Amino acid sequence: MTAVIETKGLGKRYRQLQALADCTLSVPAGHVVGLVGPNGAGKSTLLNLAAGLLAPTTGTIEVLGGPAPAQLAKLGFLAQDAPVYATLSVADHLKLGARLNPGWDQALARARIDQLDLDPGQKAGTLSGGQRAQLALTLALAKRPRLLILDEPVASLDPLARREFLQDLMEAVAEQDLSVVLSSHLIADLERVCDYLIVLVGSRVRVAGPVEELLATHHLLTGPRRDPATLPDGQQVISASHTDVQSTLLVRTSSPVLDPAWTVSEVGLEDMVLAYMRQAAGPGRRRTPGNHLEVQK
Amino acid sequence: MIEFHLNGRSGVAPYMQLIHQVRQALRLGLLREGDQLPKVKDVAAGLAINPNTVLKAYRELEYEGLTAARPGVGTFVTGTLGGTSLAAHGPLRRDLQRWLARARHAGLDDESIEALFLNTFRSAAEEDIA
Amino acid sequence: MIWLTWRQFRPQAVISLAALAAFAILLGATGPHLASMYATSGIAGCHGTGGCSYVVSSFLGLLSGFYTLVFMLGIAGVILAPAVIGVFWGAPLIAREFETGTFRLAWTQSITRARWLASKLALPGLAAMAVTEGLSLMYGWWAAPIGQAARFANNSNFPLGMSPYSLLAFDAHGVVPLGYAAFGFALGVTAGVLIRRTLPAMALTLAIFAAVQVAMPLAIRPSLFPPAHMTQSLAANFSGQQSAGPGGTFGLTLDYIDSEPGAWIFSSGAVNAAGQPVSLMPAACVNAHTGDPNQCLASHGIRIAVSYLPTSRYWPIQLTETGIYLALALVLAGFSYWRLGRRLP
Repeated sequence: MTAVIETKGLGKRYRQLQALADCTLSVPAGHVVGLVGPNGAGKSTLLNLAAGLLAPTTGTIEVLGGPAPAQLAKLGFLAQDAPVYATLSVADHLKLGARLNPGWDQALARARIDQLDLDPGQKAGTLSGGQRAQLALTLALAKRPRLLILDEPVASLDPLARREFLQDLMEAVAEQDLSVVLSSHLIADLERVCDYLIVLVGSRVRVAGPVEELLATHHLLTGPRRDPATLPDGQQVISASHTDVQSTLLVRTSSPVLDPAWTVSEVGLEDMVLAYMRQAAGPGRRRTPGNHLEVQK
Repeated sequence: MIEFHLNGRSGVAPYMQLIHQVRQALRLGLLREGDQLPKVKDVAAGLAINPNTVLKAYRELEYEGLTAARPGVGTFVTGTLGGTSLAAHGPLRRDLQRWLARARHAGLDDESIEALFLNTFRSAAEEDIA
Repeated sequence: MIWLTWRQFRPQAVISLAALAAFAILLGATGPHLASMYATSGIAGCHGTGGCSYVVSSFLGLLSGFYTLVFMLGIAGVILAPAVIGVFWGAPLIAREFETGTFRLAWTQSITRARWLASKLALPGLAAMAVTEGLSLMYGWWAAPIGQAARFANNSNFPLGMSPYSLLAFDAHGVVPLGYAAFGFALGVTAGVLIRRTLPAMALTLAIFAAVQVAMPLAIRPSLFPPAHMTQSLAANFSGQQSAGPGGTFGLTLDYIDSEPGAWIFSSGAVNAAGQPVSLMPAACVNAHTGDPNQCLASHGIRIAVSYLPTSRYWPIQLTETGIYLALALVLAGFSYWRLGRRLP
């Protein structure tokens, strides 16, 4: 399987702000890829670069084998907040898609609109947030793309609209042999649907890989107080917290942890992402569970 | 046709939950030989989970010999669990209840009972293999 | 893409068609009567400034306040149309897409940025030129009688003077409205591309367009072609004015050249027999009370020199100016494309 998105040293700078730095990724095809990180981490920037809406300041990005945006016909993009033309009707938007895309599947588009109970004559500006997102998804899917990129598609949707959107997305993935990249600042949105994860914190990629592999290689170690620097080389400490007698470390390692001093337990995706966010924030004041402020040594 | 559900807080991986639900359905007679499992697309859409997760569960069931996939048609139940009828469960259940009473009487708490049972169960299984 | 451009442009198209229709109805209802008034006024057959001034004055006197109002409205409409188009069609064209985020929808369909922009510009741009030129032609047809009469009017009360070069008349007739419309539209689009917010883009477009439209007749149009020169004697039928200044200085100005009706006068002044400018009154003429003051000056060899553009230059200037504006429009369009394709947010 070839990579759907390939970046080498990709960076984007706006005047003072470095939105994305040193990003080298090879996103494999055939997966639902989650791009997760806090707000302002650079997720939107990366996705806009992939869609050809931004030009890189450094490095390169290739999408579906060619420079972005060479492959627009095979790329579906859903921007944040699902922008639509407020004065155009739902049917007008379908016509837009049909006129501007060679591979347009009008039957699929109409079927989805009917299934969603959308009134074709309704002006898109009067649709609810969930309906707008579904309309935008319809426009992207009816292109019959090979890669679908979604920028925070469910962030502003109510729980029901969110669930329905993800259901429709998964149905499309199952039917169409589609690769998907979607971003969110909430891991909970992504956990059920993603099988590949990219963690972006502070404009840099911290970790990327299949979810199974990430879960298998990240562990929580609890044991007597220990300096993280004394751990063997193969064990990379992502975050550490200490009390006077106990250390709790989140480590990444591909080999088993054999030291009997440690109690090894599994880590959920949310805790894993949080650990990377803490790591990016750097040493500083942290809260212990007792709500005291303790300087991390 | 059975319908799946997911418990997000159970700590069990989604694909394992699907497998358990199929086996449970087999035990209860909700699924019989020849029945079709829900299509991957429908399960993924119904639960809003990655289709690969469903595929993984179905592949595991196939590996265990419980189901078989017919390309282009779907996945169908081919095997049964255990081969024993529910009738055999009755006397076994009563034996087990008596044993449990004796264990409690001997002073074992829940976790010790569970540990004892699992220990014995596993070593017996190893002896069977050996 | 043409369909999408049309669909987005439709509200503005409807409004401008309605305005155009209203304008046409107003002119169509009043034009024929105006023409018949002119036909019966006898201006067409009059000769020379003396003979014509009576019939012209009476014709112009016939035009009630209503006709003058329509006249003014017409000029205003034609002059303002390119500005309105630039502000209301041009500025929002791309600025709206940035403001609402729809550019992220438009630019991820399967057409190239170049095709998108070309299509977005072509339809409204051509419509802009057609509407403005249409307004100008309609108005030109309606106001022709008045224009003819004005050429012969000596009446300085007449608001718009006598020459096809006079400020508002030049801008409202010929082919320049086409150029102004193209430029105004392109300017609006470029402002929208640079600023990305509709209202500030509209304001900037208006400001720059107004500045250019003021600068053109004042600074650029006069230098497009070299002026002609002539001198006139201060004979009995001298039609200029003499002014007196401190210390025995004087000045001569000419607003109208009999042999060149409608000429655009750049400058006029007194010169001596050798052709050099003169500003000091000859001693003998200083306190002359008897006779025509101009006779005294004439007897000292003083004449009036004029630099001007004859009406034969009218069309060359029109075409050159239109060419300049069209070129500016193309440059702006090219710049917008470069800006959209290369540097993005």
